Amino acid sequence: MESELIIKNLHANIEGKPILRGVDLLVKQGQVHALMGPNGSGKSTLANVIMGNPKYEVTDGEIWFNGENILEYSPDRRARMRLFLAFQYPMSIPGVSVANFLRRSLEAVREGNKPLEEGDNPTGKATKRKSIPPGEFRKLMQEKMRLLKVDNSFINRSINDGFSGGEKKRAEILQMALLEPEIALMDETDSGLDIDALKIVSESVNALRGPNLGILLITHYQRILDYITPDFVHVMYDGRIVLSGGPELAHELEAKGYEWLKPSDEENGVMVNG
Amino acid sequence: MLQKRLQAWDFYEQAPFPLGRRGDLGTLRIFSNFKFQQLTPYVPSDAHDVLPPAIAQSLQEALVDQRSGLSVQHNASVVKAELSEALKQQGVILTDLDSAVRDYPDLVQRYFMTDCVPFDSTKYTALHAAFWSGGVFLYIPKGVDIEDPILAQIWLDTPASAVFAHTLIIAEDLSSVRYVEEHSSAIEGDQPSLLSSVVEVYVKNAAHVEFSNMQDLGQNVWTITNKNAVHEKDGSTTWVLADLGSHAMLSHIGVGLQGNGSAGELVGVFFTDHDQRYSINTLSNHVGTATNAETLVKGVLTGESRVEFDGMIRVQPNAQQTASFLSDHTLLLSDNCRAESIPGLEIGANQVSASHGATTGRIDDEQLFYLMVRGIAREEAERIIVQGFFEPVLQRIPLENLRTRLRRSIVLRMSDGYESETDTWIDAQERWEVEGVDEYAVSLDIPAKEEEIQLAEY
Repeated sequence: MESELIIKNLHANIEGKPILRGVDLLVKQGQVHALMGPNGSGKSTLANVIMGNPKYEVTDGEIWFNGENILEYSPDRRARMRLFLAFQYPMSIPGVSVANFLRRSLEAVREGNKPLEEGDNPTGKATKRKSIPPGEFRKLMQEKMRLLKVDNSFINRSINDGFSGGEKKRAEILQMALLEPEIALMDETDSGLDIDALKIVSESVNALRGPNLGILLITHYQRILDYITPDFVHVMYDGRIVLSGGPELAHELEAKGYEWLKPSDEENGVMVNG
Repeated sequence: MLQKRLQAWDFYEQAPFPLGRRGDLGTLRIFSNFKFQQLTPYVPSDAHDVLPPAIAQSLQEALVDQRSGLSVQHNASVVKAELSEALKQQGVILTDLDSAVRDYPDLVQRYFMTDCVPFDSTKYTALHAAFWSGGVFLYIPKGVDIEDPILAQIWLDTPASAVFAHTLIIAEDLSSVRYVEEHSSAIEGDQPSLLSSVVEVYVKNAAHVEFSNMQDLGQNVWTITNKNAVHEKDGSTTWVLADLGSHAMLSHIGVGLQGNGSAGELVGVFFTDHDQRYSINTLSNHVGTATNAETLVKGVLTGESRVEFDGMIRVQPNAQQTASFLSDHTLLLSDNCRAESIPGLEIGANQVSASHGATTGRIDDEQLFYLMVRGIAREEAERIIVQGFFEPVLQRIPLENLRTRLRRSIVLRMSDGYESETDTWIDAQERWEVEGVDEYAVSLDIPAKEEEIQLAEY
């Protein structure tokens, strides 16, 4: 059965300020959805809320993934269900090498969607998973790095530490390739990239595209959609999805901007979401 | 020497307890209330030729497997002092301090608590000078390089005892040595004991001393330590200090850079939990011309522990061309731990490059979220961040085994003493052999101009 991410009437606040005001969205494995909208419309918030960032408070609505309401799940558990977020601003973690971090991460994700078992050790803390043999992991990494044309030296560096903007974004895609999510949220992966870097990143995403991967591609700029053709385009405005359509919608937005979408009345927002 | 003990006792009796500043975290004050009079000094070792099992065991797991010398102090007595034949032939002396007083009186009189750690430096050094026992005397003649480290262990296992261990190292011109001192204890009960340790290092012309100290005492041991090195021309010292144990620690570590061109390096790591109290004081004392010092301390606190760090760079008048750097970074893991960091500069010369930096912070929530979004559970994510925090300073530790031991101890402490197979350190040092650059690989170094193309506003 193909995976589905279903968002129903999602409302979320940050520091008491409402950002999401009733988002409805359905993303299936194998589909590419572009989520567009002006700055501050709530796109990044949506991605963070789907992953369970504790900074945001969900006040109403539901998030379903693979038949489970994941709203109460911790971010790591959501990731272990094979949800993925490529960050807009990936954090650097000095002193921890990409290789070792990714091995841990892959081990965790392969462990799958179980709450970590308790009670197997004296402290009652989570037991640790089996480790992936370094040789096997290395082979897998090499394969993914080749696929994405990433320089091998990358693996020995500290996570995102001293990476350029472009490198950080590519590192996110590499992680995505390695962790094989069922649904990936890509938050402004195109921002801060020059045209060459954008091409490289887009090619990488296209290389990963397939029936097993659903993508929610968040952007406020039509440019990346010249390289990655979405199946669906949604427009977010003021915390809601106000318009949905096919790839041609992106071009229309490029020509007309976002201003015309402004709902004349708060309560009467245009809802064309299929 | 008896005279010196009496003199020191007089000084101790007269000197007031140092009490710290108003509003500090109070470590000095708790030491001033410590019941020194309830402790028993001079508890001799009850081991006769056979080492107690705990010590024998720890020797097996010692930081140094390949060593050129060994000294074991059990409570107040040195029960073992061995040195390789080759080094003996070259005139190296490694013996307990009592024997040294008898056999090398001139050397001991000249160097023992005189210029390096004068007995009247503080009330506590005076107490040490009055009660010292056991201890190590190491003399390295001119031009002798000791490649394999010398290991010294200090073991306490008697409740309510006070041990005053002294280490005196004299490295003559052009000599070098690596010395590793481990402080451990296995004492029953809650009654506090005391380890007072003084380390004096004399570094002659162009000699080099590397001194590593791992302090992993039990929670019922209090410790006061004064370590200092004095340097002649072009002499250099590396201090490596790893502090994990003890209920309360008062430590002073110094480099005295009297000789022109001398250099000192201090690398410190600490991890405290429960209600541990540390006061760590470093001093880079620049006296000669063109001297260098670098102090780098990193620590993690959790539980209700408190750590005060006071790092001083002192540049004396005439100490031109000094270069000195000091940094102290602290990470707080719990809401109830507290850290205070006071870096200081006193500069009396005008051609000086000196800087310091100190940070105290908590684990960044965004870093934590980032790791968790990659499937890693919170506890492990915290551990990874702590490991990453320590890693740069661990890489400055020359002794491989010490690095490994520290990593293990830190992981153990963070998982409440429970060790599972995969709780290994995420070792940034583990390097992959990079099999050249792939033919199709595109360099990740995208030109820097990328940030300029910020997205146009709609």
